[in-house]
Amino acid sequence: MSKDFEQQLHEALRPVDPEEGFEQRVLARIVQERSSTRRKVTRWASVALAASVVFAAVLGTHEWQLRREQEGLEARKQLLEALRLTGEKLDVAYQAVNREAPEPADDGSGA
Amino acid sequence: MIMRALFRHSMLVLVGTLSFCTNTFAADGQLKIPEFAGLADKAAESVIITLDPSLLRLAARFLDPSDPEDAAARAAIAGIKGIYVRSYKFDQDFAYPKADVDMVRKQLGAPGWQQLVQVRTRAEQQNVDIYLLVEQERANGLAIIASKPREFTIVNIVGSIDMKKLHELEGQFGIPKLDLEDKK
Amino acid sequence: MTRARAGESSAFAALVRRYQRTVYSIALRMLSDRHRAEDLAQEVFLQLYRTLDGIDSDTHLAFWLRKVAVNRAIDRMRMESRHDNEPLTEAVAVADEPTEDDPLLHKRMADLVAQLPPAARAVVVLRYQEDLDPTDIASTLDMSINTVKSHLKRSLTLLRARVQGTAIVEDIR
Repeated sequence: MSKDFEQQLHEALRPVDPEEGFEQRVLARIVQERSSTRRKVTRWASVALAASVVFAAVLGTHEWQLRREQEGLEARKQLLEALRLTGEKLDVAYQAVNREAPEPADDGSGA
Repeated sequence: MIMRALFRHSMLVLVGTLSFCTNTFAADGQLKIPEFAGLADKAAESVIITLDPSLLRLAARFLDPSDPEDAAARAAIAGIKGIYVRSYKFDQDFAYPKADVDMVRKQLGAPGWQQLVQVRTRAEQQNVDIYLLVEQERANGLAIIASKPREFTIVNIVGSIDMKKLHELEGQFGIPKLDLEDKK
Repeated sequence: MTRARAGESSAFAALVRRYQRTVYSIALRMLSDRHRAEDLAQEVFLQLYRTLDGIDSDTHLAFWLRKVAVNRAIDRMRMESRHDNEPLTEAVAVADEPTEDDPLLHKRMADLVAQLPPAARAVVVLRYQEDLDPTDIASTLDMSINTVKSHLKRSLTLLRARVQGTAIVEDIR
């Protein structure tokens, strides 16, 4: 039954083609971006040389920031994994408790 | 039935029943968890997480408040000072040192630790123990020890615990909340 | 791919033709909207064009395209926060190829997948549309394997129950 369901799910999620002309639209965007980039390069070339001196000084700080960001993202990932595991085990206990004897009849009798 | 009531209304029941709890010398919520040296190499899968206060603060800074999962995580860890997880799965039965896991369980006999739930499932040989460290009517530590023949998990959370928010997380991590209350 | 890296636009166009179905389908299953899916798919190929030098094999390329497509889609969904209570009309339109199996069932299943939150939806799409195994899904989504398996298990349980119209509590062992 499980295999059959998964097979059905596989078929329900068959890949689908984009609308006709997708390839041409992608290439058109690339051409558009290339011409826009060329203009930007010409405009900023004179500024780049002056900026390179400042860039070298900033680079050290930037690398530290990148490292810190990586550490933070890794810590976030570990946090989410830890919380997921915690929730999973709590759920095991919750389900087990719910499989206990049914609720007492509401007849005013004690537990 | 008592276990169900305790679990479903854990925070309320604890506050209501622990008025007699005046122990101010309860243990720190952090358990001594063995190193389990070399176990990761033997295990088919292992999860080793150590998030002390500074790493937790760092992780919290990278939680996106506009993301439902991240926002739920942020709410759950408010007041928490540390999260420690050791989880291993193996390809063979009892490939892990049971005595080491039992040693962690023994620490939960220290003053302040209250057993919340104990599950023993014969079919799967599954044991799940959930304890809260209660100090002055507040839950300041959580310990979960879950074991089966081929896996064990120890979760230790230190700090102010909101059990409801922790349990509700299963509805946030991209995992649809299982509607266990539905009856035919 | 060597020719594409060298700047031959016809070679790059061939890459687009070869992978457009994969990229677009991932975007569509995630975003449930044809226009947004096409927009995202175009952006993925634009990004590929910019970073083609960093791709060293066909296998790497396939992995890269899936990773970028699904992660961009997740980012977009989170930004727009539209995955909750999203109308299903676009998802309904997806199953447009005739099939010998039950089209209504497939439509229902696709609709239900479209209701899953971002991370679970991504895992299900990569598993059942792209046929990736949990290890590859974990790499693609930068998740642990355990998280992937957890998403799969819970999502399948929910989907199965919803399709069958039964209470989930009876399926839990």
